Amino acid sequence: MAKIIVVTSGKGGVGKTTSTAAIGAGLAMRGHKTVVIDFDVGLRNLDMIMGCERRVVFDFINVIQGDAKLKQALIKDRRLENLAILPTSQTRDKDALTREGVGKVLDELREDFDYIICDSPAGIERGAYLAMYYADEAVVVTNPEVSSVRDSDRVLGLLSSKTHLAEKGEGGVKSHLLLTRYDPKRVASGEMMKVEDILEILSIPLLGIIPESTAVLKASNVGTPVTFDTKSNAGKAYEDAVSRLDGEQIEMRIKPERPGLFQRLLRRTA
Amino acid sequence: MSAESLTLNDGSAAARAEEMPLQVRSRSFTAVVLKVTGAADAGFFASLDSLMRQAPHFFVNAPLVLDLEQATDLQVKGDFVKLVRELRARRLSPIAIQNASADQGIAAFGAGLITLQGGRDVPTERRGRAAEAAPAASEPEPESEPAAASLLITEPVRSGQRIFADRGDLIVNASVSSGAELVAHGSIHIYGPMRGRALAGVNGDKSARIFCQSLEAELIAIAGLYLTSDDLGPTVRKKRVQAFLRDQTLCVEPLK
Ligand SMILES: Nc1ncnc2c1ncn2[C@@H]1O[C@H](COP(=O)(O)OP(=O)(O)O)[C@@H](O)[C@H]1O
Ligand SMILES: [Mg+2]
Repeated sequence: MAKIIVVTSGKGGVGKTTSTAAIGAGLAMRGHKTVVIDFDVGLRNLDMIMGCERRVVFDFINVIQGDAKLKQALIKDRRLENLAILPTSQTRDKDALTREGVGKVLDELREDFDYIICDSPAGIERGAYLAMYYADEAVVVTNPEVSSVRDSDRVLGLLSSKTHLAEKGEGGVKSHLLLTRYDPKRVASGEMMKVEDILEILSIPLLGIIPESTAVLKASNVGTPVTFDTKSNAGKAYEDAVSRLDGEQIEMRIKPERPGLFQRLLRRTA
Repeated sequence: MSAESLTLNDGSAAARAEEMPLQVRSRSFTAVVLKVTGAADAGFFASLDSLMRQAPHFFVNAPLVLDLEQATDLQVKGDFVKLVRELRARRLSPIAIQNASADQGIAAFGAGLITLQGGRDVPTERRGRAAEAAPAASEPEPESEPAAASLLITEPVRSGQRIFADRGDLIVNASVSSGAELVAHGSIHIYGPMRGRALAGVNGDKSARIFCQSLEAELIAIAGLYLTSDDLGPTVRKKRVQAFLRDQTLCVEPLK
C-alpha cells in the first residue's frame, strides 16, 4: 500500500525542498519505487534540485487540468530507476490546484509507487493545505529557532485537524520532526534552540538532525540530492533519517546536548 | 442583556405559538462594557487597539455597551456617530449606552444606540487597562438549561487553534502551545504545559477557576479579569497553580 508523505513547515527557506529531494532519493536507493511531487506552484524548485529542469515538458497542473496524461508529465530520474519527479508549473498560480484534481493524481500514483513525497510550499494557505490534505504521514522540517518552531507547531495543528485522515476521524497525520540547518556551535552559544527544548514544545518523535553543511549548497548547484554525497555529514544524516522513516532504529550521529537524551527520544520514536 | 419588557409567562407564549407566526421569549446575553473616559479621542482608540491585540477574544461576537459615566465630553449626535463608526471599523458591535445623562441618551439614540438601565456590573481591577467584560444580564433563564457537559481534549492544542467549551468545564490532558487559546463558560483544567491563553467563565461566571500543571501562559482570564505573562512572576511560573477571583481580583496561587 503506497504511503503519501508531506514535507512541510509553515516557514519558508527551512529546507523542505532540499529534504524532499534527499528523502526521495534515499527511499529509492533503499529499493522503494518513489515519486516526489512539487506543490510549490509558481516557484518550481524541486526539479532544479533534482537536476531535471531541462527535461520538463508537461507538469502537475497540466495533468490536473486534463491537458496531459500523468505518464507524460512524470520524469524518470537518470541515476535511480526507482525514482520519478512530478514537476510543477512556473507560470500558473496556486489556484490551479484543486482538491479533487490533486486527489485524482495521487490515486493514480498510488497504483505505481511505494512512496509519494509531497514538497509543500511555505505558508498555511491553499498550496500548503492541498499538499498535506491527503497525507498519511508528515515530515515537519524545522530549524532550531523560535519562529520556525512556532510555525511548525501551527502546521501540526493543521495536520491534526484539516487533513483527510483528521476529517475521517482517524486521528490526523502521523508526524515526524526533521531538524535541519542544525549548527552545534550556535546551539552551544545560545543563539539557536536546543533539541530538547524544541521537542518539549512540539512533542512529536524526532526523525533526524541535519547539520548545517556546505555540502547542501554544492549538491543543489549541480542538481543532485545531497543523499548521493555519502561522504558528507548532511548526506549521512539524511540517509539515517530515511532509514528511520522506513522503520529502522538508528542512533543519532549528532552528539546529544545532554547524555541519554537521544536514547530516550529514539525509544519514543519507535 | 435582559429584555425585561418582553418577559412573558412562558406557558402563554407556548400556548399561543400555534396561532402566531412568531414567538416572544426573554433571554439574557452577555455584553462587553467599555468605559469611555473623557472624549473618544486618538488616545482612547490607541489604548483600545492595544487592548484588542492583547485580548482579542473579549470582543469577538459580543455586543458592546458603552459606559458614559466618565465621558461627559460626549454630548452631541455627531460624537456618537463618529464613535460608532470607529468601533465598527474595528469589527466591534456597539448596541447601547449606560450611565448616561438624558441628553446623552437622546444624542446616542440618533446614532442607533439605546440606553440601558439596571445591568449588573462587576467592578473589575483595572491594572491600568481600559476595559471590562462583565455580565450585563440579570434574570436566569426561565427554562432549565441542559446539564453542563465538560469537554475533554487529549491532543496537544497547537498555535493558532482555539478550543471553546460552550457549556461547562474544559479539560486539556496535553500541552497548550503559545498562540493557542482555550475558552470555557466554566472552569479550565490543563494537565500539560500551559503556554497559551486560557479564558474561563467567559459568560461572567465568577466562580470559574483555572488549574494548571505548569503555568507558562501568555494570558489567563476569569469572567473578564485577566493577567498576562508579565504579571505572572516566578512564584507561579512553571508551577502547579490555580487561578480564581477573590474580591474582584484575579489571584494565582500555587497548589499545595
Ligand atoms: N542543512 C543545510 N545546510 C546548509 N544549507 C541548507 C541546508 N538545508 C537547506 N539549506 C539551504 O537553505 C535554502 C532553503 O532551502 P530549501 O530546501 O529551498 O527550503 P524550503 O523548500 O523550505 O523553502 C537553500 O539555499 C538551501 O541550499
Ligand atoms: Mg521549497
